[in-house]
Parts: sequence; C-alpha cells; structure tokens
Amino acid sequence: MLEGYSTNATSAKIRAKYAQLFTIDNYRELAALRTIPEACEYLARSSRFSGVLAEVDPNTVHRGYLEELLMKENFETYIRLCRFQGLDKEPFFSFLIKRNEIECILSVINRINSSLETAYLSDMPGYLVRYLDDRYTEISTAQTFEELVEKLRGTAYYKLLRKLPVREDGKADYTECELRLRTQYYQDMLEQVEKHYSGSTEAELRDLILKDIDCRNIINAYRMKAYFGYPPEVIKKQSLQFYGIGKKAMERLYEAEDAAEMMEMINRTVYGKGSPDTDNIELEINSVKIRRLRSQLASSTNAPVAMFTFVQLCDIDVSNLIRIIEGIRYGVETAVIESQLVTL
Amino acid sequence: MAIEKMALVNIIGRFEDLDRVLEKCCESGCFHMEPAFKNEQNSEVRLLNEKNPYGVPMKAFSSLASEMDIELTESPDDRYINYSAEDFMQLADSMDDEIEEKSRLKKDAAREVSELEGAVLQIDHLKGLNSDFQKIFSLKHTACRVGRLPADNLAKLQYYDQTFFFVPFETTRDFCWGMYFCADGDKELVDSIFRSMFFERIRIPDYVSGNTDEALAKLGRSIDEKKAEIERLEKDISELAKKHSDVIKKAYTAAKKKFDIFELHRKVGAVKEKFYIKGFIPKKKEESFKKLFEDSSEVEVVLLPPDADAYCTPPSVLKNSWFTRPFGMLVEMYGLPKYGGFNPTAFVALTYTLLFGIMFGDLGQGLLLFLGGFFVSKKLDKRAGGMVSRVGLSSMVFGTLYGSFFGYEELLDPVFESIGIGFLPLKVFKQTSFILITAVGIGIAMILISMILNIYVGFKEGNIEKAVFGSNGIAGLVLYASVCVGVVCTMLLKIKVMSAPFVILLIVIPVICVFCRVPFAAAVKYKQWRLSEDEEDMTVGNFIVENFFEMFEYALSYVSNTMSFLRVGGFVLSHAGMMMVVMTLMDMVSTAGKPAVLVIGNLFVMAMEGMIVAIQIIRLEFYEMFSRFYEGDGKAFEPIAVSFDSRTDI
Repeated sequence: MLEGYSTNATSAKIRAKYAQLFTIDNYRELAALRTIPEACEYLARSSRFSGVLAEVDPNTVHRGYLEELLMKENFETYIRLCRFQGLDKEPFFSFLIKRNEIECILSVINRINSSLETAYLSDMPGYLVRYLDDRYTEISTAQTFEELVEKLRGTAYYKLLRKLPVREDGKADYTECELRLRTQYYQDMLEQVEKHYSGSTEAELRDLILKDIDCRNIINAYRMKAYFGYPPEVIKKQSLQFYGIGKKAMERLYEAEDAAEMMEMINRTVYGKGSPDTDNIELEINSVKIRRLRSQLASSTNAPVAMFTFVQLCDIDVSNLIRIIEGIRYGVETAVIESQLVTL
Repeated sequence: MAIEKMALVNIIGRFEDLDRVLEKCCESGCFHMEPAFKNEQNSEVRLLNEKNPYGVPMKAFSSLASEMDIELTESPDDRYINYSAEDFMQLADSMDDEIEEKSRLKKDAAREVSELEGAVLQIDHLKGLNSDFQKIFSLKHTACRVGRLPADNLAKLQYYDQTFFFVPFETTRDFCWGMYFCADGDKELVDSIFRSMFFERIRIPDYVSGNTDEALAKLGRSIDEKKAEIERLEKDISELAKKHSDVIKKAYTAAKKKFDIFELHRKVGAVKEKFYIKGFIPKKKEESFKKLFEDSSEVEVVLLPPDADAYCTPPSVLKNSWFTRPFGMLVEMYGLPKYGGFNPTAFVALTYTLLFGIMFGDLGQGLLLFLGGFFVSKKLDKRAGGMVSRVGLSSMVFGTLYGSFFGYEELLDPVFESIGIGFLPLKVFKQTSFILITAVGIGIAMILISMILNIYVGFKEGNIEKAVFGSNGIAGLVLYASVCVGVVCTMLLKIKVMSAPFVILLIVIPVICVFCRVPFAAAVKYKQWRLSEDEEDMTVGNFIVENFFEMFEYALSYVSNTMSFLRVGGFVLSHAGMMMVVMTLMDMVSTAGKPAVLVIGNLFVMAMEGMIVAIQIIRLEFYEMFSRFYEGDGKAFEPIAVSFDSRTDI
C-alpha cells in the first residue's frame, strides 16, 4: 500500500524532530536546578517544549500538569508527524492512539477495582479527549466491569473483555484484562505489518515490535520474581506470548533461580549487554533499548520504522524529564537523579 | 629542533609547608606535576584524599557578589594569605548578615509585586464581569472560585455529575479563564475535582472590591507602592555593595587561589608525617627552581634524571627555531612525540610552507596573507598568525613563478621578459601535464623522505623491523624507489631499466624482506627463527595469509599515497580556475562595478581556497607522511598554575 508514494519526507522530518530531544547535558543542567518553576522555565526555553509551555506560568504550575504537558507534546508531535503526509489514514500509524485507548480502559478497570468514583476522569489526560472516541470518556461513568464492557460495545475490546469472568462484587481480574488487551494490541500490530508492508520495512518493524514486547516481558518477569517471588509457571502465564529472542531463551530467563541470577542472565542477552551496572531493571533494559533505537532511527529510511522508533525515544525522553522534575520536587540530590536517567 | 631535556623533581617536606610549596611550584610556571602515588606497588606512599574546604567560602563570596551585583575580578591581596576556610566563611557570614535582611525584604516585595501583577493579569481575563467581587464572594450558600482551567479539560466537565457550573470568560489556546459556582456544602468535593483538572485558582486580594475595572485600578496603585519600596531597598543594597565590593573581590581571589592549590593535594602523596610531590621541570630551569626553596630548610628538593622513575613518563616540550615554532601547533594537534623521540616540526614547517605556496601561488594574495598573519600574530594568536605569515611568503614566491597577481596572470610577464627568463612565468593552463606530473614527483620525494626519517627513528629506537625490514624501512624504501624509477624510466623517459637483475635485486628481494619482516627482525634480534614477535602460536599458513593481505595493503598504500599528491597539482589549477571566473565576472559588469567584483572575488577565493588548501595539506602531512614515521604518543607538558575564574562550577 505504501509503495505507491514516498514517505521519505516524514522520515527526514522525524530525524529533524529527533534533534530536538534532550541530550545528557540538557538533563544534567535541568537536574541541577532547585525548584519546579526553574525547571519549567528551562523546559519552556527549549525548542521542543516552548510551544506547549508558552502560556504556562512557571510560578504557579502544578507539577502534575507540567508532566501532563510534556506527554501532550509527545502525543501531538506524533499526530502532527502522522498528518504531515496523510499517514494517519494508514492502519499501522494508529498504534499510539490504540495504546492510549488501552491505557484508558485499564485505568477504568483499576478504578472500578479500587472503588474510586471519579479518579479515572481526573487521571485521563485532557489532551486525549480530542483524539479518542467519545466512548473512552464516557466509560468514566461505569460503576461495574459489566457496565464498562457494555459501554465498549462496538469496539474491538468488547469481544476481548466480554467473556472474562466477573466476580460477585462486579470486579474483574486486572492482570488478565491487561494481558488480553496488550496481546490483542501487539497481535494487531504484527498482523498489520505483515499485511501492509514488505521487505526491509516489514522485517525492521517486526523486529522492533518483538523487541519491545521482549523488553516489557523481561521487566515484568523480573519484578514478579524479585518483588513477589512468583514461580516460573505464573510468570510464563502472565507474560505476552510473543518472542523476539525465542521462546526457549525467554523461558530460561523466567526459570532463573532468583532475581540476581535472572539479572545476570539478562546481561548476557541483547537486552542487557553493555547496560549500566544497577539493580534497577527498567534502567538496565531501557539504557540498552535507547541505544538500539537511536541506531535504528539513524539507519532506517522507512517512515513507519522511524515513527515507531521515534515515539519510543520520545517516551523515554519524557520519562527522564518526569523523573528529574519529581527529583527536584522532592529535593533529591542531583547525582542521584542523574543515576536514575536512561541515557546510555 | 629536538625535545626539551627534562629533570625529575621529588619534593619532600612537612605537611605544614605543603600549601606554601605548591604555591611556589605554581609560581615557578614550569612544574609539571605527576601523581605521587603512582609508584612501586609496595610503596608506603598513600594519597591525600581530603575534601576541598575552600569550595564553600568561594561559593558564599560568589553568591554575595551576585546578590549585590558585583562583578568579580582578580584582586590579589596579601591580607588573606594566612586565612583558613573557616576564616573566609566567617568573613562571608559577617557580610551576609548585613545584606540578608535587606535582601529578604527586597525578595518579599518582589514576590508581592509578582503576585499583584499576576492578579492584574488574571483579572484582566475576567473583563465582562460587571458584578462586585465582594458581593460574589460574600454569598452565603454558594461557593465561588475564580481562575483558569486548561482548555483541554473543558470537555471533561460534562461527565461529572456533581452540582457545579463553570462560567467561562475568555479562552486562549491553552487555558480558559472563568469561575465556577457550587453549593457551599459541596465545595470541598468540587474544589478537589477542579484541582485534579489543574484549575489554577486566582486569589483576589481582600481589599479588591468593585467590578473588574475598579479592581484593576486598585491593584495598579498597590504595585506602584511596592515598586517604590523595592527601589529604596536596591539603593541600600548598592550602598552596601560599594562598602564591601573590594573585600569580596579580594577574598574571592584569595579563596579561589587556595581552592586551586588545595585541588593539587589530589596528586600529593603522604609518607608518614611528610608530604611527597613528584613532577618534571625543564632541565635548564633546575637552578632557578631550586632557588625557590632555598629559604625553606625543612623542604628537600631532589633533582633526578628524567628516567629515574619507571612509573612516570616525562612530558614532551618541542624545542623549535623561530621559523618552525608556529608549526608546532600542527604536531600538537596530531600528538606530541614521546620524550626523547623525533621532533617532526621542522619537517612539517618546510613541507607545509612549500606545499601551500605551490597550491596557493599568488603574489598579491600571498602578500595579504603575510600581512594578515603578521597582524594576527601581534594582536590575537602568535602561532596561528606566524603560520599564516610564513605560508603567505611562500605563496608570494610561487605566485611570482606563476606570474599571478590577484588573478591577473599576465601582469608579471614584462618583468620576466625584461630580465630575460623565457621559461617563466609558468602558464598554469598551458602546462597542465607538467604541473600534475611535478605534483606526483613532489609526492614521491616526500614519501621517500618520510621513509628515510622512519629508518632514522627506527635505528634510534633500536627497532630493526621498523628500520630495516618494514614497509617504510630500508626494504620498503628500496622497493618503492625502484618501482618509481622503473615506472618513470619505462613510461616517461622510454629507458628500459626493468632488467632481470634490477627486478630481482631491487624489487623481489625487498618484497621478500617486507613479507618476512617479523621473522627476519626476530632472527637479528634473538638469533632464532620465529614467525611472530611475541612467540604466540603462528602457523606457517596463518603467517602466509596474514602477510599476503598486508603486502596487498602496503602496495595499495604506496599507490594511493603517491596519487594523493595529485591534489597538489589539482589545486594549482583550481586556484587559477577560480581566479579566471572572477576575471570573467569582472568583464561582465560595468566599469564602476569592476573594483568591487575584483575585491570580493579575491577575498572569496582567498577565504575558501585558503581554508581548503590548508586543510588538504594537513591531510597530506598526517596521512601520507606522518603515518610512515611518526607516532604521536607523547605526553604534553602542563605546568601547574592558579587561574582566576569568576564562575564557581564546583
């Protein structure tokens, strides 16, 4: 489908946008600041966030709102890039919208399970209201899981969640919901890649998606092992059934004796080789991931690959910034903040 | 034109003298310090690992200076020589106490102004609200909040079923200004809902009454009053600044000096109750350096030969003549020679000057370069300017040979005619082949000289493989020279020299020598047959394959390095070509415009071509010549010093 016209301009635009991402030096400068207003002013001076922070008053801005605005910039950059050459009409390019839909549904399920009535509406980023279907805002009024499923009628998620067993109190198993939704999400993406792309685009996208899944699985498995002591069978069951490094290799990780052994094994895989020496699994995996994504973005000329890579890099960039802002807010030492950033 | 001779210095003394000794070392301007603990493994030397206590007072003075708007400049004063970090801190605190109160009042007033201005800005957005603020806020059963809500969150309001309503006044791209009303009993819940949507509440000061217009007028008056107060406080602070400025500058200078000296403690070793400093000084400065410590009986300065400590490599200082000195920066850029090694600056100076002149030959432009370089060397950078003026002279010489003066190629013809030199000036476009062949000839000569230098360095280092059997040793030299002679005689001069003895003696045997350079060198050195230097397992098959590819690489490098010098001829043509374009452009414009085209064209060619030629020659020097004989693995000589800096990045 894409062969009919060139999307090189989008790839070039993405690379230009990539240059606006923060560098290690920028992170250091930001982390050295003492207050949220100072941080906000610093961000507002950057070319990446100057637009979204133009009307914000650094002295009164709420930390949560500042963080939401950073995420908003990520999302709107993605929207702008998609619209640049009409790529938003291609099914694959809706991956971020779909990811946000899933986050919304999971957020409502979580709210129902913890009996918080309006928490979902407040947690839902305001900028999403414009881009998502109305029903994803309407689900905020659902009081039980069944009501939520009913409100999702007509969407792809309805079928997925309809058959899930519901407890007497109207609640459903959150982990199972998450597993189903994310499995469907990645399944759809892989199918779209197979259907709409060929050659290097297909191979690169497939590889990127599977590696993304692997990273998610490894982080979750490590947490389950380290913090909850789950046995390998439970970990296997609660992991996404897609494998970038192969099923056997992944299961060997799950079967590690303890978290330390698992970390050692991870460090021998492509996801951990050359990672910084910490016991923070997310930092380890993402540090290697960011290096891989950067090289992928630099070498690929395929717009879908560039977009999928760029969105992930933006996510890591904003998560770093949020970590710094939180560090500043709670008076964490600069060196400690820096040690928690994904910068390799 | 060699490397400056060095002496190893060991200084031992009591800890109370440490700072004074380090200060003298800094003052000497010629002491290159080495970490004292880099020594024998079982040595008793331990390192001093103390936190620098002068960082805090330095910052304190710096922040006082910035608070009082004082520009920190270097102001030495002996009064603070014996001040400890605590003394400096006490001094800073005493001044801080004086300024603190006023500074706090100023900040408070500024904050209030900022709040009031904020309120003005906010109330400005509520224009259209004609009711009295106080009347609205004094409603008994209804709570009301004024502020702004992110525009993105407006759409969420309809999904809340609580009883409140939001009245928008003005909507910008990101925010909607307005007020919400709710029942007094629900206000906590509704407030929390709006807070979660990042509603920024505007607190209207109690004294603001009336509608928006009246409120704005009142706020304006308050702002003026506060601003007047700030001005008064600023005046007081500037009085204080005048009073303390001198002390702050002097104390900061002294603290910075002590800070820098304390930083040097990291390289000082401690042996029992004594400190131990190690470093190098130029040998010619031995006497003057020793004299510095003559008055300190407890400090012992021991001068040793530079190679006395196996754990320390002496630094290299290039010793150059006045002509070659500026070209030292190119050698430093590549890497300094190791101590006692070969200093290639003279070679670089000669070849660089020669090549630049050939590639950028123009009498007029060369003269401008010479004058420009002279000016730069006097006013800005001595070395860069010196280099430019030397290459400018060379450019003038070759410009005369080409008969080129600011692009006028015929201007010098009558001069040569009158002297009676018929073969000059060289007409670039009429003698293209000659120029290109000469360029390659120059390249061959330079490569051969590089090889001779390599042989010299190899013998000096006692490295037989490098000097005799290597691709740039005697074998390589004979091979390369023979092939060049063979090609030139056969193809250009039509002389048949490639006879069997010529080929066997001057090509085949050198090829075998280069191929077997490692075993041959090992045979000479160790009197035994080895395929590799470090006695690792090297099979005959491996040896042949490895050396076959290396020979292939050498052959390629001989050819590509030689051809690389074609660029010298290429730039002669390109320079003349670009000037021809300038001349053509000049012919196309009116008489009045001609001088402008000539000047701009010449400046453009000088800037662009000059830079390209300079870079290309650096490339020739580094890749084609240095790679044959030079290894820049020396250490720079960095004398310790105390430097003033008004920034406190610690």
